[in-house]
Amino acid sequence: MKTVRMLVPALALALGGTAGTALAADVRIATEGAYAPWNYLDDSGELAGFEIDLGNALCERAGVECEWVQNEWDSIIPNLQAGNYDAIMAGMSITEERMESIAFSDAYYPPDPSRYLTTAGTELDIENLEGKRIGAQGATIQAAYAEETFGEDNTILTFETPDQSIADLMAGNLDLIIADGSYLMPIAEGSNGAMVLTGPYVMIGNGVGMGLRQGEDELATSMGEALEALKADGTVDALIKEYFDAGPFFAE
Amino acid sequence: MLDALIAWTAGTFGEGPAGTLAYLTNGKHLAFYASVRFTLIAAFAGAAIAVVCGLLGTAALRSRIAPLRWIGTGYTTIVRGVPDVLFFLFLPLAFEQSVEWVMAQQACPAEALAESGRWPPCQAAQWFLTTTDYLVLACFTLGIVYGAFAANVINGAMNAVPRGQLEAASAYGFTPGQVFWRFQVRQMWVYALPGLSNVWMLLLKATSLLSLLQIQDMVLWANRIGAPNFIPRVGAVHGDWRWRYYLALFVFYILLTLLSEHLFRRLQRNASRGMAIG
Repeated sequence: MKTVRMLVPALALALGGTAGTALAADVRIATEGAYAPWNYLDDSGELAGFEIDLGNALCERAGVECEWVQNEWDSIIPNLQAGNYDAIMAGMSITEERMESIAFSDAYYPPDPSRYLTTAGTELDIENLEGKRIGAQGATIQAAYAEETFGEDNTILTFETPDQSIADLMAGNLDLIIADGSYLMPIAEGSNGAMVLTGPYVMIGNGVGMGLRQGEDELATSMGEALEALKADGTVDALIKEYFDAGPFFAE
Repeated sequence: MLDALIAWTAGTFGEGPAGTLAYLTNGKHLAFYASVRFTLIAAFAGAAIAVVCGLLGTAALRSRIAPLRWIGTGYTTIVRGVPDVLFFLFLPLAFEQSVEWVMAQQACPAEALAESGRWPPCQAAQWFLTTTDYLVLACFTLGIVYGAFAANVINGAMNAVPRGQLEAASAYGFTPGQVFWRFQVRQMWVYALPGLSNVWMLLLKATSLLSLLQIQDMVLWANRIGAPNFIPRVGAVHGDWRWRYYLALFVFYILLTLLSEHLFRRLQRNASRGMAIG
Protein backbone atom coordinates (compact mmCIF):
# COMPACT_ATOMS: atom_id res chain seq x y z
CA MET A 1 0.00 0.00 0.00
CA LYS A 2 2.85 2.29 0.85
CA THR A 3 4.31 1.93 -2.64
CA VAL A 4 1.00 2.72 -4.23
CA ARG A 5 0.54 5.85 -2.13
CA MET A 6 4.01 7.02 -3.11
CA LEU A 7 3.42 6.28 -6.75
CA VAL A 8 0.39 8.46 -7.19
CA PRO A 9 2.11 11.79 -6.43
CA ALA A 10 5.16 10.67 -8.38
CA LEU A 11 2.97 9.95 -11.35
CA ALA A 12 1.14 13.25 -11.04
CA LEU A 13 4.44 15.13 -10.76
CA ALA A 14 6.04 13.52 -13.76
CA LEU A 15 2.92 13.96 -15.80
CA GLY A 16 2.29 17.55 -14.85
CA GLY A 17 5.60 18.51 -16.37
CA THR A 18 4.56 17.40 -19.82
CA ALA A 19 0.88 18.12 -19.88
CA GLY A 20 0.65 21.49 -18.17
CA THR A 21 1.30 23.61 -21.23
CA ALA A 22 -1.17 21.90 -23.54
CA LEU A 23 -3.77 24.07 -25.25
CA ALA A 24 -2.54 27.33 -23.71
CA ALA A 25 -1.71 29.06 -27.00
CA ASP A 26 -3.93 30.62 -29.68
CA VAL A 27 -2.39 28.68 -32.53
CA ARG A 28 -0.60 25.35 -32.34
CA ILE A 29 1.86 24.62 -35.15
CA ALA A 30 3.15 21.12 -35.78
CA THR A 31 6.57 20.28 -37.14
CA GLU A 32 8.63 17.14 -37.48
CA GLY A 33 11.84 18.29 -35.78
CA ALA A 34 14.02 15.92 -37.80
CA TYR A 35 14.50 17.81 -41.06
CA ALA A 36 17.46 20.15 -40.79
CA PRO A 37 17.81 22.94 -41.69
CA TRP A 38 14.02 23.29 -42.07
CA ASN A 39 13.16 22.11 -38.57
CA TYR A 40 15.25 20.21 -36.06
CA LEU A 41 16.15 19.85 -32.42
CA ASP A 42 19.22 21.88 -31.60
CA ASP A 43 21.82 20.83 -29.05
CA SER A 44 19.79 22.28 -26.21
CA GLY A 45 16.91 20.01 -27.21
CA GLU A 46 14.72 22.89 -28.42
CA LEU A 47 13.04 23.08 -31.79
CA ALA A 48 14.97 25.30 -34.19
CA GLY A 49 15.37 25.90 -37.90
CA PHE A 50 14.10 27.96 -40.80
CA GLU A 51 10.46 27.14 -40.22
CA ILE A 52 10.62 27.73 -36.48
CA ASP A 53 12.05 31.23 -37.03
CA LEU A 54 9.61 31.93 -39.84
CA GLY A 55 6.64 30.59 -37.88
CA ASN A 56 7.49 32.71 -34.86
CA ALA A 57 7.84 35.77 -37.09
CA LEU A 58 4.46 35.01 -38.69
CA CYS A 59 2.77 34.67 -35.32
CA GLU A 60 4.29 37.91 -34.08
CA ARG A 61 3.14 39.72 -37.22
CA ALA A 62 -0.35 38.22 -36.97
CA GLY A 63 -0.46 39.12 -33.27
CA VAL A 64 -1.20 35.62 -32.00
CA GLU A 65 0.41 33.43 -29.38
CA CYS A 66 1.89 30.33 -30.98
CA GLU A 67 3.03 27.03 -29.62
CA TRP A 68 5.09 24.37 -31.39
CA VAL A 69 4.13 20.72 -31.36
CA GLN A 70 6.45 17.96 -32.45
CA ASN A 71 4.68 15.27 -34.43
CA GLU A 72 5.91 12.35 -36.50
CA TRP A 73 5.83 12.98 -40.23
CA ASP A 74 3.61 10.09 -41.25
CA SER A 75 0.77 11.14 -38.96
CA ILE A 76 1.19 14.89 -39.34
CA ILE A 77 -1.75 15.40 -41.74
CA PRO A 78 -4.23 13.08 -39.95
CA ASN A 79 -3.48 14.77 -36.64
CA LEU A 80 -4.07 18.20 -38.18
CA GLN A 81 -7.46 17.01 -39.38
CA ALA A 82 -8.13 15.51 -35.98
CA GLY A 83 -7.60 18.91 -34.40
CA ASN A 84 -4.50 18.11 -32.37
CA TYR A 85 -3.00 21.34 -33.74
CA ASP A 86 -3.98 24.10 -36.15
CA ALA A 87 -1.19 24.31 -38.70
CA ILE A 88 1.77 22.39 -40.16
CA MET A 89 5.15 23.87 -40.99
CA ALA A 90 7.32 20.88 -41.79
CA GLY A 91 8.91 21.39 -45.20
CA MET A 92 5.67 20.18 -46.74
CA SER A 93 5.32 20.65 -50.48
CA ILE A 94 2.02 21.89 -51.79
CA THR A 95 0.55 19.11 -53.97
CA GLU A 96 -2.79 18.39 -55.59
CA GLU A 97 -3.08 15.19 -53.62
CA ARG A 98 -2.60 16.89 -50.25
CA MET A 99 -4.95 19.72 -51.30
CA GLU A 100 -7.74 17.16 -51.30
CA SER A 101 -7.45 16.70 -47.56
CA ILE A 102 -5.99 19.96 -46.22
CA ALA A 103 -5.55 23.60 -47.24
CA PHE A 104 -2.26 25.43 -47.81
CA SER A 105 -1.03 28.97 -47.39
CA ASP A 106 0.92 30.55 -50.22
CA ALA A 107 4.39 29.06 -50.58
CA TYR A 108 7.08 30.42 -48.28
CA TYR A 109 9.77 28.56 -50.18
CA PRO A 110 9.79 28.24 -53.97
CA PRO A 111 9.51 24.84 -55.67
CA ASP A 112 12.49 22.92 -54.39
CA PRO A 113 13.95 20.51 -56.94
CA SER A 114 14.48 17.01 -55.59
CA ARG A 115 17.96 15.54 -55.82
CA TYR A 116 19.65 12.17 -55.69
CA LEU A 117 22.27 11.43 -53.05
CA THR A 118 24.69 8.52 -53.23
CA THR A 119 28.00 7.49 -51.72
CA ALA A 120 31.26 8.68 -53.28
CA GLY A 121 32.50 6.52 -56.13
CA THR A 122 29.11 5.03 -56.97
CA GLU A 123 28.35 5.26 -60.68
CA LEU A 124 24.65 5.40 -61.38
CA ASP A 125 22.71 5.79 -64.60
CA ILE A 126 19.60 7.45 -63.24
CA GLU A 127 17.73 7.00 -66.54
CA ASN A 128 18.16 3.22 -66.47
CA LEU A 129 18.25 2.13 -62.85
CA GLU A 130 17.84 -1.59 -62.36
CA GLY A 131 18.07 -3.78 -59.29
CA LYS A 132 18.98 -0.81 -57.09
CA ARG A 133 17.86 -0.07 -53.56
CA ILE A 134 16.37 3.41 -53.46
CA GLY A 135 15.54 5.20 -50.20
CA ALA A 136 13.00 7.94 -49.51
CA GLN A 137 11.06 9.18 -46.52
CA GLY A 138 7.60 7.62 -46.35
CA ALA A 139 4.55 9.67 -47.39
CA THR A 140 6.65 12.22 -49.29
CA ILE A 141 6.34 13.37 -52.89
CA GLN A 142 9.70 11.72 -53.54
CA ALA A 143 8.51 8.36 -52.26
CA ALA A 144 5.56 8.52 -54.63
CA TYR A 145 7.81 9.65 -57.49
CA ALA A 146 10.36 6.87 -56.86
CA GLU A 147 7.65 4.24 -56.71
CA GLU A 148 6.16 5.45 -59.98
CA THR A 149 9.43 5.93 -61.84
CA PHE A 150 11.69 3.18 -60.52
CA GLY A 151 9.33 0.87 -58.68
CA GLU A 152 9.15 -1.78 -61.37
CA ASP A 153 12.85 -2.64 -61.67
CA ASN A 154 14.15 -1.53 -58.29
CA THR A 155 13.43 -1.85 -54.58
CA ILE A 156 12.01 1.29 -52.99
CA LEU A 157 12.55 1.55 -49.25
CA THR A 158 10.74 4.16 -47.20
CA PHE A 159 11.86 5.48 -43.83
CA GLU A 160 10.01 7.10 -40.97
CA THR A 161 12.54 9.90 -40.63
CA PRO A 162 14.93 11.16 -43.30
CA ASP A 163 18.05 10.74 -41.14
CA GLN A 164 17.40 7.00 -40.97
CA SER A 165 17.70 6.86 -44.76
CA ILE A 166 21.02 8.73 -44.56
CA ALA A 167 22.30 6.26 -41.96
CA ASP A 168 21.32 3.35 -44.22
CA LEU A 169 22.99 4.93 -47.24
CA MET A 170 26.21 5.31 -45.25
CA ALA A 171 25.95 1.73 -44.01
CA GLY A 172 25.74 0.53 -47.61
CA ASN A 173 22.17 -0.69 -47.37
CA LEU A 174 20.98 1.74 -50.03
CA ASP A 175 22.34 2.67 -53.44
CA LEU A 176 20.80 6.11 -53.52
CA ILE A 177 18.34 8.43 -51.83
CA ILE A 178 15.88 10.83 -53.37
CA ALA A 179 14.78 13.80 -51.25
CA ASP A 180 14.36 17.58 -51.29
CA GLY A 181 17.51 19.26 -52.62
CA SER A 182 17.46 21.73 -49.74
CA TYR A 183 17.69 18.82 -47.31
CA LEU A 184 20.35 16.81 -49.15
CA MET A 185 22.68 19.64 -50.16
CA PRO A 186 23.96 20.57 -46.67
CA ILE A 187 24.39 16.86 -45.90
CA ALA A 188 26.49 16.29 -49.01
CA GLU A 189 28.58 19.35 -48.13
CA GLY A 190 29.00 18.34 -44.50
CA SER A 191 29.97 14.76 -45.26
CA ASN A 192 33.40 15.80 -46.60
CA GLY A 193 32.90 14.02 -49.88
CA ALA A 194 31.65 10.75 -48.40
CA MET A 195 28.27 11.38 -50.01
CA VAL A 196 27.63 13.20 -53.28
CA LEU A 197 24.68 14.61 -55.17
CA THR A 198 24.20 13.02 -58.54
CA GLY A 199 21.93 12.94 -61.56
CA PRO A 200 19.33 15.43 -62.73
CA TYR A 201 17.19 17.83 -60.73
CA VAL A 202 13.68 16.46 -60.40
CA MET A 203 10.94 19.06 -60.36
CA ILE A 204 8.02 17.79 -58.29
CA GLY A 205 5.87 19.78 -55.88
CA ASN A 206 4.74 23.38 -56.00
CA GLY A 207 6.74 25.06 -53.31
CA VAL A 208 6.54 24.64 -49.58
CA GLY A 209 3.64 26.12 -47.64
CA MET A 210 1.88 26.05 -44.31
CA GLY A 211 -0.70 23.29 -44.04
CA LEU A 212 -4.07 24.28 -42.56
CA ARG A 213 -7.41 22.61 -41.97
CA GLN A 214 -9.91 23.22 -44.74
CA GLY A 215 -12.60 25.74 -43.92
CA GLU A 216 -10.66 27.62 -41.24
CA ASP A 217 -10.70 30.83 -43.23
CA GLU A 218 -9.97 33.17 -40.35
CA LEU A 219 -6.61 31.58 -39.54
CA ALA A 220 -5.79 31.17 -43.23
CA THR A 221 -6.43 34.87 -43.85
CA SER A 222 -4.43 36.15 -40.89
CA MET A 223 -1.48 33.86 -41.63
CA GLY A 224 -1.71 34.66 -45.35
CA GLU A 225 -1.58 38.39 -44.66
CA ALA A 226 1.33 37.99 -42.25
CA LEU A 227 3.24 35.93 -44.81
CA GLU A 228 2.53 38.52 -47.51
CA ALA A 229 3.92 41.26 -45.25
CA LEU A 230 7.05 39.26 -44.32
CA LYS A 231 7.74 38.53 -47.97
CA ALA A 232 7.39 42.21 -48.82
CA ASP A 233 9.71 43.46 -46.04
CA GLY A 234 12.40 40.90 -46.89
CA THR A 235 12.15 38.79 -43.72
CA VAL A 236 11.42 35.56 -45.60
CA ASP A 237 14.28 36.12 -48.03
CA ALA A 238 16.66 36.93 -45.19
CA LEU A 239 15.76 33.70 -43.39
CA ILE A 240 16.16 31.68 -46.59
CA LYS A 241 19.58 33.31 -47.11
CA GLU A 242 20.52 32.48 -43.51
CA TYR A 243 19.49 28.84 -43.57
CA PHE A 244 19.87 27.76 -47.19
CA ASP A 245 22.23 30.37 -48.66
CA ALA A 246 19.78 30.79 -51.54
CA GLY A 247 17.49 33.45 -52.97
CA PRO A 248 16.27 36.10 -52.89
CA PHE A 249 12.99 34.66 -54.16
CA PHE A 250 10.34 37.09 -53.00
CA ALA A 251 12.00 40.53 -53.42
CA GLU A 252 9.77 43.04 -55.19
CA MET B 1 40.27 -0.87 -17.38
CA LEU B 2 38.32 2.13 -16.12
CA ASP B 3 41.05 4.49 -17.33
CA ALA B 4 40.96 2.93 -20.75
CA LEU B 5 37.19 3.29 -20.84
CA ILE B 6 37.36 6.96 -19.85
CA ALA B 7 40.09 7.62 -22.40
CA TRP B 8 38.07 5.92 -25.08
CA THR B 9 34.88 7.90 -24.37
CA ALA B 10 36.82 11.13 -23.95
CA GLY B 11 38.17 10.85 -27.45
CA THR B 12 34.92 9.65 -28.87
CA PHE B 13 32.30 12.27 -28.13
CA GLY B 14 34.22 15.53 -28.40
CA GLU B 15 37.47 17.44 -28.09
CA GLY B 16 39.07 15.99 -24.98
CA PRO B 17 37.33 15.26 -21.68
CA ALA B 18 35.89 18.78 -21.40
CA GLY B 19 34.39 18.59 -24.88
CA THR B 20 32.95 15.18 -24.16
CA LEU B 21 31.44 16.39 -20.93
CA ALA B 22 29.94 19.43 -22.66
CA TYR B 23 28.50 17.18 -25.37
CA LEU B 24 27.06 14.68 -22.92
CA THR B 25 25.42 17.42 -20.83
CA ASN B 26 23.85 19.55 -23.55
CA GLY B 27 20.09 20.09 -23.47
CA LYS B 28 19.41 17.25 -25.86
CA HIS B 29 21.22 14.81 -23.61
CA LEU B 30 19.56 16.17 -20.49
CA ALA B 31 16.21 15.57 -22.15
CA PHE B 32 17.40 12.06 -22.96
CA TYR B 33 18.35 11.42 -19.31
CA ALA B 34 15.12 12.98 -18.06
CA SER B 35 13.09 10.68 -20.28
CA VAL B 36 14.12 7.84 -17.97
CA ARG B 37 11.20 8.96 -15.79
CA PHE B 38 8.68 7.59 -18.30
CA THR B 39 10.38 4.21 -18.17
CA LEU B 40 10.48 4.12 -14.37
CA ILE B 41 6.90 5.33 -13.95
CA ALA B 42 5.66 2.75 -16.45
CA ALA B 43 7.66 0.01 -14.71
CA PHE B 44 6.54 0.78 -11.13
CA ALA B 45 2.94 1.75 -11.84
CA GLY B 46 2.68 -1.13 -14.31
CA ALA B 47 3.99 -3.54 -11.68
CA ALA B 48 1.57 -2.26 -9.03
CA ILE B 49 -1.35 -2.74 -11.40
CA ALA B 50 0.02 -6.15 -12.43
CA VAL B 51 0.01 -7.34 -8.80
CA VAL B 52 -3.61 -6.21 -8.40
CA CYS B 53 -4.60 -7.86 -11.68
CA GLY B 54 -2.66 -10.95 -10.65
CA LEU B 55 -4.48 -11.25 -7.31
CA LEU B 56 -7.86 -10.66 -8.96
CA GLY B 57 -6.95 -13.18 -11.66
CA THR B 58 -5.99 -15.76 -9.05
CA ALA B 59 -9.21 -15.15 -7.12
CA ALA B 60 -11.16 -15.73 -10.33
CA LEU B 61 -9.15 -18.85 -11.21
CA ARG B 62 -9.83 -20.38 -7.79
CA SER B 63 -13.42 -19.22 -7.48
CA ARG B 64 -16.20 -21.64 -6.61
CA ILE B 65 -18.40 -19.95 -9.21
CA ALA B 66 -17.86 -21.55 -12.61
CA PRO B 67 -18.32 -18.43 -14.83
CA LEU B 68 -15.71 -16.56 -12.76
CA ARG B 69 -13.32 -19.48 -13.24
CA TRP B 70 -13.91 -19.32 -16.98
CA ILE B 71 -13.15 -15.61 -16.96
CA GLY B 72 -9.94 -16.24 -15.00
CA THR B 73 -8.83 -19.02 -17.34
CA GLY B 74 -9.72 -16.95 -20.40
CA TYR B 75 -7.81 -13.94 -19.08
CA THR B 76 -4.59 -15.78 -18.25
CA THR B 77 -4.62 -17.94 -21.37
CA ILE B 78 -5.46 -15.27 -23.93
CA VAL B 79 -3.34 -12.46 -22.52
CA ARG B 80 -0.29 -14.66 -22.00
CA GLY B 81 -0.57 -15.98 -25.53
CA VAL B 82 -0.66 -12.64 -27.39
CA PRO B 83 2.65 -10.82 -28.03
CA ASP B 84 2.99 -7.79 -25.76
CA VAL B 85 3.81 -5.51 -28.71
CA LEU B 86 0.38 -6.27 -30.12
CA PHE B 87 -1.29 -5.56 -26.80
CA PHE B 88 0.61 -2.31 -26.55
CA LEU B 89 -0.80 -1.22 -29.88
CA PHE B 90 -4.24 -2.74 -29.44
CA LEU B 91 -5.38 -1.79 -25.93
CA PRO B 92 -4.73 1.99 -25.96
CA LEU B 93 -6.16 2.40 -29.45
CA ALA B 94 -9.21 0.26 -28.70
CA PHE B 95 -9.77 2.18 -25.48
CA GLU B 96 -9.43 5.57 -27.19
CA GLN B 97 -11.86 4.63 -29.91
CA SER B 98 -14.42 3.19 -27.54
CA VAL B 99 -14.32 6.37 -25.47
CA GLU B 100 -14.75 8.37 -28.65
CA TRP B 101 -17.62 6.13 -29.66
CA VAL B 102 -19.40 6.76 -26.36
CA MET B 103 -18.72 10.49 -26.64
CA ALA B 104 -20.02 10.46 -30.20
CA GLN B 105 -23.30 8.83 -29.15
CA GLN B 106 -23.94 11.73 -26.79
CA ALA B 107 -22.37 14.74 -28.46
CA CYS B 108 -22.72 14.26 -32.20
CA PRO B 109 -25.81 15.11 -34.25
CA ALA B 110 -27.70 12.16 -35.74
CA GLU B 111 -26.74 12.94 -39.33
CA ALA B 112 -23.04 12.87 -38.42
CA LEU B 113 -23.49 9.47 -36.76
CA ALA B 114 -25.27 8.06 -39.79
CA GLU B 115 -22.53 9.21 -42.13
CA SER B 116 -19.91 6.49 -42.34
CA GLY B 117 -16.23 6.71 -43.14
CA ARG B 118 -15.31 9.47 -40.73
CA TRP B 119 -13.79 8.94 -37.33
CA PRO B 120 -14.75 10.36 -34.96
CA PRO B 121 -18.13 11.32 -36.42
CA CYS B 122 -17.86 14.92 -35.19
CA GLN B 123 -15.26 17.22 -33.69
CA ALA B 124 -16.88 17.18 -30.24
CA ALA B 125 -16.15 13.47 -29.90
CA GLN B 126 -12.44 13.96 -30.60
CA TRP B 127 -10.22 12.85 -27.75
CA PHE B 128 -6.77 14.34 -28.01
CA LEU B 129 -4.41 12.08 -26.09
CA THR B 130 -1.52 13.81 -24.37
CA THR B 131 1.68 12.10 -23.28
CA THR B 132 0.11 11.78 -19.83
CA ASP B 133 -2.89 9.92 -21.17
CA TYR B 134 -0.69 7.62 -23.19
CA LEU B 135 1.50 6.93 -20.19
CA VAL B 136 -1.51 6.03 -18.04
CA LEU B 137 -2.78 3.74 -20.81
CA ALA B 138 0.68 2.20 -21.10
CA CYS B 139 0.76 1.51 -17.34
CA PHE B 140 -2.61 -0.21 -17.49
CA THR B 141 -1.59 -2.21 -20.56
CA LEU B 142 1.57 -3.41 -18.82
CA GLY B 143 -0.47 -4.15 -15.69
CA ILE B 144 -3.09 -6.17 -17.53
CA VAL B 145 -0.59 -8.12 -19.64
CA TYR B 146 1.81 -8.97 -16.82
CA GLY B 147 -1.04 -9.41 -14.35
CA ALA B 148 -1.97 -12.50 -16.36
CA PHE B 149 1.50 -13.92 -15.80
CA ALA B 150 1.37 -12.92 -12.14
CA ALA B 151 -2.02 -14.64 -11.74
CA ASN B 152 -0.54 -17.86 -13.02
CA VAL B 153 2.43 -17.58 -10.68
CA ILE B 154 0.29 -16.75 -7.63
CA ASN B 155 -2.15 -19.54 -8.41
CA GLY B 156 0.69 -22.03 -8.59
CA ALA B 157 2.12 -20.70 -5.33
CA MET B 158 -1.25 -21.11 -3.60
CA ASN B 159 -1.22 -24.76 -4.62
CA ALA B 160 2.36 -25.14 -3.42
CA VAL B 161 1.51 -24.40 0.20
CA PRO B 162 1.56 -27.85 1.89
CA ARG B 163 -1.96 -29.13 2.53
CA GLY B 164 -0.82 -30.67 5.80
CA GLN B 165 -0.14 -27.21 7.25
CA LEU B 166 -3.65 -26.02 6.39
CA GLU B 167 -5.19 -29.16 7.88
CA ALA B 168 -3.07 -28.75 10.99
CA ALA B 169 -4.24 -25.14 11.27
CA SER B 170 -7.91 -26.15 11.15
CA ALA B 171 -7.22 -28.90 13.63
CA TYR B 172 -5.94 -26.23 16.02
CA GLY B 173 -9.29 -24.49 15.70
CA PHE B 174 -8.56 -21.67 13.25
CA THR B 175 -11.61 -20.66 11.23
CA PRO B 176 -11.53 -21.29 7.45
CA GLY B 177 -10.98 -17.54 6.90
CA GLN B 178 -8.01 -17.51 9.23
CA VAL B 179 -6.57 -20.61 7.61
CA PHE B 180 -6.86 -18.95 4.23
CA TRP B 181 -5.38 -15.56 5.13
CA ARG B 182 -2.88 -16.42 7.85
CA PHE B 183 -1.57 -19.70 6.48
CA GLN B 184 -2.23 -20.13 2.79
CA VAL B 185 -1.91 -16.52 1.59
CA ARG B 186 0.89 -15.68 4.01
CA GLN B 187 3.01 -18.62 2.82
CA MET B 188 1.96 -18.21 -0.79
CA TRP B 189 4.23 -15.13 -1.13
CA VAL B 190 7.31 -17.19 -0.35
CA TYR B 191 6.53 -19.59 -3.17
CA ALA B 192 5.41 -16.82 -5.53
CA LEU B 193 8.37 -14.44 -5.16
CA PRO B 194 10.81 -16.18 -7.53
CA GLY B 195 8.13 -16.33 -10.22
CA LEU B 196 7.05 -12.76 -9.58
CA SER B 197 10.63 -11.55 -9.86
CA ASN B 198 10.67 -13.15 -13.30
CA VAL B 199 7.47 -11.36 -14.26
CA TRP B 200 8.98 -8.08 -13.04
CA MET B 201 12.01 -8.58 -15.29
CA LEU B 202 9.76 -9.19 -18.29
CA LEU B 203 7.74 -6.10 -17.46
CA LEU B 204 10.90 -4.03 -17.11
CA LYS B 205 12.01 -5.11 -20.56
CA ALA B 206 8.62 -4.31 -22.04
CA THR B 207 8.96 -0.66 -20.97
CA SER B 208 11.21 -0.18 -23.98
CA LEU B 209 8.02 -0.26 -26.08
CA LEU B 210 6.77 3.10 -24.77
CA SER B 211 7.82 4.98 -27.90
CA LEU B 212 5.18 2.99 -29.80
CA LEU B 213 2.64 5.21 -28.03
CA GLN B 214 4.36 8.47 -29.02
CA ILE B 215 5.87 8.79 -25.58
CA GLN B 216 9.26 10.46 -25.93
CA ASP B 217 11.09 7.81 -23.95
CA MET B 218 14.75 6.79 -23.83
CA VAL B 219 14.52 4.65 -26.95
CA LEU B 220 13.10 7.50 -28.99
CA TRP B 221 15.75 9.94 -27.74
CA ALA B 222 18.51 7.39 -28.42
CA ASN B 223 17.26 7.19 -32.00
CA ARG B 224 17.13 10.95 -32.30
CA ILE B 225 20.49 11.84 -30.78
CA GLY B 226 22.30 8.93 -32.39
CA ALA B 227 21.09 9.77 -35.89
CA PRO B 228 23.86 11.01 -38.19
CA ASN B 229 24.27 14.77 -38.53
CA PHE B 230 26.38 16.62 -41.08
CA ILE B 231 25.24 20.18 -40.52
CA PRO B 232 27.37 22.09 -37.98
CA ARG B 233 24.66 24.60 -37.05
CA VAL B 234 22.35 21.77 -36.03
CA GLY B 235 24.83 20.39 -33.50
CA ALA B 236 27.80 18.07 -33.22
CA VAL B 237 28.70 16.60 -36.60
CA HIS B 238 28.91 12.82 -36.44
CA GLY B 239 28.06 9.66 -38.33
CA ASP B 240 25.56 7.02 -37.30
CA TRP B 241 26.01 6.84 -33.52
CA ARG B 242 22.81 5.04 -32.67
CA TRP B 243 24.67 1.93 -31.52
CA ARG B 244 26.40 3.93 -28.79
CA TYR B 245 23.11 5.07 -27.38
CA TYR B 246 21.59 1.63 -27.69
CA LEU B 247 24.61 0.34 -25.79
CA ALA B 248 23.93 2.88 -23.03
CA LEU B 249 20.32 1.64 -22.81
CA PHE B 250 21.66 -1.89 -22.73
CA VAL B 251 23.80 -1.05 -19.70
CA PHE B 252 20.90 0.82 -18.06
CA TYR B 253 18.62 -2.20 -18.28
CA ILE B 254 21.33 -4.56 -17.03
CA LEU B 255 21.94 -2.34 -14.00
CA LEU B 256 18.21 -2.27 -13.26
CA THR B 257 18.14 -6.06 -13.55
CA LEU B 258 21.03 -6.50 -11.13
CA LEU B 259 19.43 -4.10 -8.67
CA SER B 260 16.08 -5.90 -8.91
CA GLU B 261 17.70 -9.29 -8.36
CA HIS B 262 19.36 -7.97 -5.23
CA LEU B 263 16.12 -6.51 -3.89
CA PHE B 264 14.16 -9.66 -4.62
CA ARG B 265 16.74 -11.76 -2.82
CA ARG B 266 16.33 -9.61 0.29
CA LEU B 267 12.55 -9.73 -0.02
CA GLN B 268 12.71 -13.50 -0.30
CA ARG B 269 14.88 -13.71 2.81
CA ASN B 270 12.45 -11.53 4.74
CA ALA B 271 9.37 -13.40 3.59
CA SER B 272 10.77 -16.83 4.44
CA ARG B 273 11.94 -15.90 7.94
CA GLY B 274 11.01 -18.62 10.40
CA MET B 275 9.94 -21.00 7.67
CA ALA B 276 11.39 -24.35 6.77
CA ILE B 277 11.64 -23.41 3.09
CA GLY B 278 13.16 -20.69 0.97
